[in-house]
Amino acid sequence: MATRTKKHLDIIFNRIERTQSFYVWVSILVAVSGLALYAILMSLIYSLEIFEFSAQVIWATMVSNYVFLVVSSTGLCIVTSLGHVFGMQRYELIGRRGVFLALITIIFGMISIGAHLGHPERAMIFNLLTPNFLSAMWWMGTLYSFYIVFIAIEYWLLARPELIERSDQAQGPEKIIYGIMAFRQLDRLKIGPVLKNHKLLQFIGAAALISGLSAHNTLGALFGHIEARPLWHGSYYPIYFLLSASFCGYALLLAVSIASYKIKKEEIPEDYQSLIFEMAQVLALLLSAGLLFTAYKMGFGLFTPEKVKPIMLFLKGPFSQAFWLFEIAIGTVLPIPILLWATKQKNIIGVLIASVMVLVGVYVMRYDFVVAAQVYPVIKNGLPSYLPAFMEVLFIGGVLGALFLTYVLGEKFLPLKEEHHH
Amino acid sequence: MNKATKNIRRRDFLKLLAGAYAYATLGSPGLAGAQTTRYGKLADTTRCIGCKRCMSACKRWNKLEVERNELVSDRETDLSAQNWVVVNLRADAKNVTQRIYEHWACQHCIQPACAGVCPVKAITKLPMGNVVINEKKCIGCRYCYQACPYKVPRFDFEKRVTRKCHLCYDRIPLLNYMKPACVEACPVEALSFGYKHEIILEAKKRIYKEKSGRYILGLKEAGGTDMLTILPTKPKDLGLVVAPQKVVNHNMDKLRITGAGFMGASVLAGLMYTYASLTRKNTKDDYGNPDKETS
Repeated sequence: MATRTKKHLDIIFNRIERTQSFYVWVSILVAVSGLALYAILMSLIYSLEIFEFSAQVIWATMVSNYVFLVVSSTGLCIVTSLGHVFGMQRYELIGRRGVFLALITIIFGMISIGAHLGHPERAMIFNLLTPNFLSAMWWMGTLYSFYIVFIAIEYWLLARPELIERSDQAQGPEKIIYGIMAFRQLDRLKIGPVLKNHKLLQFIGAAALISGLSAHNTLGALFGHIEARPLWHGSYYPIYFLLSASFCGYALLLAVSIASYKIKKEEIPEDYQSLIFEMAQVLALLLSAGLLFTAYKMGFGLFTPEKVKPIMLFLKGPFSQAFWLFEIAIGTVLPIPILLWATKQKNIIGVLIASVMVLVGVYVMRYDFVVAAQVYPVIKNGLPSYLPAFMEVLFIGGVLGALFLTYVLGEKFLPLKEEHHH
Repeated sequence: MNKATKNIRRRDFLKLLAGAYAYATLGSPGLAGAQTTRYGKLADTTRCIGCKRCMSACKRWNKLEVERNELVSDRETDLSAQNWVVVNLRADAKNVTQRIYEHWACQHCIQPACAGVCPVKAITKLPMGNVVINEKKCIGCRYCYQACPYKVPRFDFEKRVTRKCHLCYDRIPLLNYMKPACVEACPVEALSFGYKHEIILEAKKRIYKEKSGRYILGLKEAGGTDMLTILPTKPKDLGLVVAPQKVVNHNMDKLRITGAGFMGASVLAGLMYTYASLTRKNTKDDYGNPDKETS
């Protein structure tokens, strides 16, 4: 028995390319994820206070990280549904990688907010038992739960043909594992042909898109409803969140897929290359729309008496560096010419750099958006610190590390590649 | 009664029913303000001597801890999970010699913003007037803190729930009609407690007797609150947080914002459709595939 198990394990591990860089990557990411576990353990042993840098800024990095991840997830859902919902065949290339990323970003986003909640276990129970239909947070939680289910089914449907193919080609335990992942026995039932029908994928994709957009909208409304926070209040954020989701989704997909090819030193398929440059152009367009929105927000805010103080925090106050340098320069303005230049020169690295810049800018923007709004109206003399606490950084780093680890493993074992299959 | 009139009547009745339901759920300050069975608390800052007996009485009754030196007179204190009532010295910006002790706690809004945003209905407005957090139900999301115009509900990092003054809802209904602990403890009758309409009359009587310029906080702020505070001057001059004189987070406002978001989402979906249909031709050229879904 032991020798048989050993043989099976050998087969599995032999399949993994034993490159040094893979092991280095995985061990770094495991170590970083361990830090998050350590931070959570400490918060359970001592108090949740270790995650707070000010008692009055009660939502900080964990919320902003959650917002960043779920917004990216919705954005990825938007980008991928161009393919199998709206019928643009060239976007079907990115379907599997995009939907897989959407799935893992939303899951790690939920982990991030779950650790922030005082009692996540109660949240699940009372969300069902005593719903408050007038609360945006209830709608957000409920709709995102639906979204996770739909997006998981969507990925499974997208990956199923290749999982079956791999199961056919492989031997031993690998064959069984891929067979189980594809639920091969379903083929013998009446549902088998239905699963292969593109219409089902389209339907599930549409359901994921609708639930994702609605959930995303209630996430914006969650902030927009709060009249006591002048910066958040209003219908600006629900709408802007949709736009920022779109460019965040494009940037994340471009950055991750190009980086995966480059790190593995693989050739990017030609049809995917042309799509990359098209996506880069769309990203540049979305970024310029985002710039207009930001200009509108700042201009409109300066003429609204209760919004002036929080807006000035960005323009001249302690958040000005983050705003001008990260949000405007690195996040929005500089990537536009880089993207356009890269498209013209057919330079993939240029697209990669611009997308990473957008992601960095958006990440800082989320933090500013969450933290700066809480300075007014209560805190009179400004915050003691505008940077997150040490434990928060450990936790967030760990969550992001675990996210990358999941992606690296997914890239290794699951069908993610940009390939056409009919 | 013929059939036509019966139909009309039924329709009218249904309309009335729908209207009444909408009125009750979407908010009706007039209706809520008209109740005479609600209690209210009155804090007269012009009488307060700053002894902080209300704070210690509150801590004793609700089994709260003494955090630092908050019970020492004149020590500036913020509300926290262990301080549900605070007394702070405030100076008038226009007349620095005039100083008052400000008794500050949850204002028990008639239409509380915190209860409206709590995702699991852990916060309720009792018919007696108290706004109470059910600590066994609270999920610790702190959304109530964000929504409250006065930032009253504070997060308890040990218990992992938000806590605040509940106007001693566990004392009021008792047989001998006990007042809230803070009111009971006040040595100079700066705090009083009674039916809301009586409390409003009492507050108005007091400012009518005194010099002009006095202000009753809570008659209009946040759509009216069940705790009233008599201030010597306008709250802004005393450096207090000023809530808008309307219901905060009104349900119609929430609907408006969510609706705008959904319109944005529909526009986005429309743009995606347009993008797809405008460039679908390229797909055919690129790959030579017919413009149909493939499986």
